[in-house]
Amino acid sequence: MTKYLNFIILFILLSVGVLLKDSMTISTNLLSLFATKESVEKLSIANNLGYSKEMLIAVKGFDKKSKADLREISKKLKELKHINFVQSSIVPTEEIQDYYKNNYSILAKFNDANITKEQVLQKLQALYDEQLSSVFYSSIDKNDPLALFKLENIKYSGISHKGEFITLGDYGFLIRVMTDVSPSQMSEAKELYEDVHTLLKEYPKVVAFAPFFYTVENSSKIKADVQWIIILSTVILLLIYYILIKNIRLLSQTVVALISSMLFASLISTIFIDNFNILSLAFGMSLTAVSIDYLLHYHFHNFYEASKKIDKNVLYGYLTTLSAFAVFSFIPIPLISQISSFAVLSLSFAYVLFTFVFPYLGLKRYEESNKIESVRQERKIPALIVFVLSLALFTYSAFNFKLDSNIRNLDYQNLKLLEAERLFKSNSGSKLTPVIVEATTQNKLIENLHELKSILPDTFSLASFVKDQKSCEVRQEELKAYDFARLNRLINEEASKIGFKESYFKNAYTFVSPLISCDVKELDIFKTYGLSIYHDKNIHYTIALVSDVKKIKNLSFISSIDVKEMFDRATQKMYDDLLYFGSFVFVIIFVLLLFSVRAHFIYAINYILFPLSFTMAVLVSMDAINIMHLFSLIILIAIGIDYGIYMSNSKKPTNTMLAVKYSLLSTIAAFGVLIFSTIVALNSIGIVIALGCGAIFILVKVMR
Amino acid sequence: MIQKVLLSLLLASSVFAQTYSFTELRYSDAINRSTQLEGKISFTKNGLNISYPQSAREIDYDNDTLNYYENGKIVQLPEMQSSKMMQYFDILRLLHKGDESELEGMFEIEDRSNVKILKPLGAIKNYINLIELRKYDNELKYIKLFLQNNDTISININD
Repeated sequence: MTKYLNFIILFILLSVGVLLKDSMTISTNLLSLFATKESVEKLSIANNLGYSKEMLIAVKGFDKKSKADLREISKKLKELKHINFVQSSIVPTEEIQDYYKNNYSILAKFNDANITKEQVLQKLQALYDEQLSSVFYSSIDKNDPLALFKLENIKYSGISHKGEFITLGDYGFLIRVMTDVSPSQMSEAKELYEDVHTLLKEYPKVVAFAPFFYTVENSSKIKADVQWIIILSTVILLLIYYILIKNIRLLSQTVVALISSMLFASLISTIFIDNFNILSLAFGMSLTAVSIDYLLHYHFHNFYEASKKIDKNVLYGYLTTLSAFAVFSFIPIPLISQISSFAVLSLSFAYVLFTFVFPYLGLKRYEESNKIESVRQERKIPALIVFVLSLALFTYSAFNFKLDSNIRNLDYQNLKLLEAERLFKSNSGSKLTPVIVEATTQNKLIENLHELKSILPDTFSLASFVKDQKSCEVRQEELKAYDFARLNRLINEEASKIGFKESYFKNAYTFVSPLISCDVKELDIFKTYGLSIYHDKNIHYTIALVSDVKKIKNLSFISSIDVKEMFDRATQKMYDDLLYFGSFVFVIIFVLLLFSVRAHFIYAINYILFPLSFTMAVLVSMDAINIMHLFSLIILIAIGIDYGIYMSNSKKPTNTMLAVKYSLLSTIAAFGVLIFSTIVALNSIGIVIALGCGAIFILVKVMR
Repeated sequence: MIQKVLLSLLLASSVFAQTYSFTELRYSDAINRSTQLEGKISFTKNGLNISYPQSAREIDYDNDTLNYYENGKIVQLPEMQSSKMMQYFDILRLLHKGDESELEGMFEIEDRSNVKILKPLGAIKNYINLIELRKYDNELKYIKLFLQNNDTISININD
């Protein structure tokens, strides 16, 4: 019965998992792992306001063919699902034109100076003469013949145009498409991506870009990448267990133990940790493989046949690793704290299984070979020299250290899309940056937008189209006070005397009554300009495009949604936190190592310092260091601790060395294979672990 | 064929621009009267040039820039007026080029033997009701614009 204990535990955990499956929640929002909670909220509001849902299509050139393509594509796009509207011309939509007509008396500038009978006569005579003598045709506005109202042109500096058509600088014509797809909506993104690309296939001169293209293209690349890595990892693990150790039973029991450990940690993490992320889950599962070194150490030292309850070396190794991850579980970087918590749980469970359950499984004893060690002790390098070398490598790294704060560099580098994005950015000529403006009411929001416009007059927002309540009411009073009826009578009397057609001006200035209401309800019509209002929890939000964010950052109702700036800030904080917590972890490891290996302290600490310094020196020589490199260096510490303790306290160095070698191979199988990944984040982990494992291997072979 | 040769000459250099003399008849509904003007129009690669010799006035529209001259001296026009004029000249250039595919994007076209009726589709329908074009011997000879305010502008090509 005890032979099946390992399987029984797995069965119990699976049953608990099935029972509690509704309580397990996994977040798929990768952004929340890197950006602060506040930044994520702001981006989510921006998404609701249509930011990042825009698709841009450029037709190269300005010739006849380009114009024909532009018209054809615009027409076809309108028929596609998930497309709200298509804009290729600066001409306002009919709804906006109607809005102007209906609100003309409020929106236009009004000259409320009193006009005398003589002035009326003079102005009308000038109009009459112009009709007969001017070489240019000029029309007469029969509603406002004295030009008391003047509507100013709205200048949108974000759009360049040739005639009525929007252009992308000197590149060609531009089509702006507002979709209802945000980058996080996978199935909708895929559907629209395919529709758009099928449509554009027959237009070779056309380039399209939308943020959700990354979602579609990158996810399929990432999927393919991960699949290939899993296969590679599995092959290497099978190779270690089956061909090298030749113990299929050990393999199956270990796999079951690892699955149980992962399952245990997954259950606890997904039930008790808020927003536990899928990436942390995947990473944490890989990290569980580090626990294989406990098993290998036990196996090669035949611990399971001995009467001992505890192997001190494995216990120290486990406790030191545990302490490091326990400290990191408090770091305010969600990704690292989640993975560290998962590691604490899974490594503890694995330790318990390998130490207390495996002795009852009846595993085959390891037959020791009587081979003499290949490298004689005296030929090996003293630990002190390795220690000094490590310090030298650290010094070299410190002087060449460069941080990469751009989190987007961690993603799969989709060169084709990055190129397309660059094309639109470099040719747009727009210097405007979006910001979120908020207020408790819609009226207050419009008021805030006007305040913003008074500070930065080139701001493009709803304030370009809508008056604020206060100035609207002032205008209403002005209109009420002005005697338009008298003016109408005067105009008609004088016009008739001059020779204008009878009753031509009978409706002059009648458009001012009845007075227009100051409550603007049809704000949705400005969505064509990317302007709308989003209402959530009693707060109204909208987007404004401004030329100088610094000048307005002190306004309480403004928040920046500059993703680059947000991530730069978040990354800088991550590096600072990592440095702070990392130093703390180092101190703990020093103390624990001193306690567990005593006289061999320098020898044991080399297993941490040398892999770290060697890897860092190689990394700084190659490129800038990113957050994933740093995090992988922490994993390297966890791996190094165990080996340092095993090697310095070993009574059977050959067996320990063998355990370490196989354990290193397992680690490479779990993490090192990531070096083959094309996703920078995964590739960074792979490089660090592969280099680190290589450094440990060198130590095992050459240090005494 | 002649038009194609003409067009390529136009594209080659504005020096060889085709010049037409025309008679413009404007009807103003406000005063219920018509005025007649005689002038010359040249279509160049990137614009056009209109001159009214009797009143010594000239307009040069080239590469989205409009210059107006009175007695040889440049005169600044109000922004609104010059932007409206540029729109009007763009339409004239288009009608002269007779590019069907481009016209189809902007107008609903109705063909009646020698007469073509263009009904605006875009923003210009706020100003123009319809445009009537007449061709003789396959050459554009007459343009009439029916404006929203009941004014009309007729241009007769005399050459």
